Amino acid sequence: MNARMDRGGVVTQSLAQIGACGLFLLTLLAAVPRSFRYFRETLRQIWFVGAMSLTIVMTCGLFVGMVLGLQLYDVLSIFGGTSATGTVVAIAIYRELGPVVTALLFAGRAGTSITAEIGLMRATDQLDAMEMMAVDPIAYVAAPRFLAGVVALPLLGVVFCAMGVFGGHLVGVTWLGIDNGTFWSNMTATVDVHKDIINGVLLKSIAFGIVVSLIAVYQGYTTPPTSEGVAYATTRTVVASSIAILALDFVLTSFLI
Amino acid sequence: MACCDGFRYFVPLHLANDLLMTDTASSGSDDTIVRVRGLTTVLNGKTIFDSLDLDIPRGKITAIMGPSGTGKTTLLKHITGQMRGDRGEVRVDGENVPDLSREHLFRLRERVGYLFQNSALLTDFDVFENVAFPLRQHTKLPEVLIRNIVLTKLQAVGLRGAARLMPTELSGGMARRVALARAIVFDPALILYDEPFVGLDPIALNQVLKLIRTLNQTLGITSILVAHELAAVQHIADHVFLIANGKVVAQGDAATLATDGSPWTRQFFGGEADGPVPFQYPAGDYATALGFPGGSL
Repeated sequence: MNARMDRGGVVTQSLAQIGACGLFLLTLLAAVPRSFRYFRETLRQIWFVGAMSLTIVMTCGLFVGMVLGLQLYDVLSIFGGTSATGTVVAIAIYRELGPVVTALLFAGRAGTSITAEIGLMRATDQLDAMEMMAVDPIAYVAAPRFLAGVVALPLLGVVFCAMGVFGGHLVGVTWLGIDNGTFWSNMTATVDVHKDIINGVLLKSIAFGIVVSLIAVYQGYTTPPTSEGVAYATTRTVVASSIAILALDFVLTSFLI
Repeated sequence: MACCDGFRYFVPLHLANDLLMTDTASSGSDDTIVRVRGLTTVLNGKTIFDSLDLDIPRGKITAIMGPSGTGKTTLLKHITGQMRGDRGEVRVDGENVPDLSREHLFRLRERVGYLFQNSALLTDFDVFENVAFPLRQHTKLPEVLIRNIVLTKLQAVGLRGAARLMPTELSGGMARRVALARAIVFDPALILYDEPFVGLDPIALNQVLKLIRTLNQTLGITSILVAHELAAVQHIADHVFLIANGKVVAQGDAATLATDGSPWTRQFFGGEADGPVPFQYPAGDYATALGFPGGSL
């Protein structure tokens, strides 16, 4: 009975969190027009969460593409279809691995830093100080970071995909000897711009950007003002973002496919 | 006094006020700047204020004192609109703070300075930019004027030379003085100090005391400070409110209160461990807690 009540409490608490996060999104969206005053701050955040994440995104994209090329070459060679390696690498990366892995990396690298930064501002009264100086911290702190995430993640997704395809080419063509012309021509003949690039990379990345940025900003803004609170909030950002990305990916794919 | 020379000769106050479009002189001729009536606040089932009445005189330094946990900082938060009570009025310059919209509240806060206990400097910015922050947010003053105003304020707190230091490079006392420079950058009508003397060495404490007194005398700023340091309060406060059990239990000038014979003032100013404020937090029977049979020693 107690265990059931505990589970009930956890479910109620989780639903309450989701509801509070939804309300926070409305507050955030209402503050977005006011945050255009702080355009330079938004640009600074795009640099921080976007440009500063390039190294990890490019490196991971390259290795994901390389390992995919290697695995697919191994499997396709059984059927004598190694010429399709480029096509399958591209479709796998554009439709799934590109947006999903980029979003997971973004949550780990940029999401946690956003949460920790805002959480520490909360713990050291900086957000209250802004309120006291008649500066809205939602418009000045939260909204620019949210917008930066929404803008940066699709761009990082594109970079990840480009590096992934390059990694697949590196292994398939340069190392394993697939014909260069076959690799590219099969890929360009099969990949559909609307279905694979716009729906696959861009649409999913924008959706993931909204979700990850919202979770990161919300967790930071509502964290208890203690060091333990900031630590938990940072962990919750990664856990909640990862689950949300994978669940949302399934939902989006079921509509887009 | 040398520490505050900048106030007197760098930018004429009336000119700065016109440029900043602020209402430093404070509207109205009412002698009371903050009027609290019937304020009742219950937090997590605990009554913090029980129909509290309080009048803060304009142009004076008023100290709010009381045992820990009696809601002194909470009272400051009610005055600034960071918190709202369950009942009652908190009027600042005639405006009832709980009734104000967010926009009006922000307009009121432009006339109120607040010194946080931990300074709350923005860690991304250096000292200069911290002090310039409110100016950049609320005015479109030319850069040269912002620079001059900021340097004037920093000169007043004795830290013009530290303008390019980051908050992490400052000592506690220096950070408090930078926060003070930021709080007065708009020449507010009212400044609230939340425990401004905590953690300061005697030199820094004297500097802060001197600054609060000078700001009050030179600019006519009303000051409300929450503090526990009786000697410091006696040194600068014109009026003291002693708050306990959600009400004002004593008030008057610091010297009178210190010699007042009421149990509250005797315990608080005399530092007696027990009295109207119990030393022990409410708890069950001690002997039972220690496991003695029968529950009594």
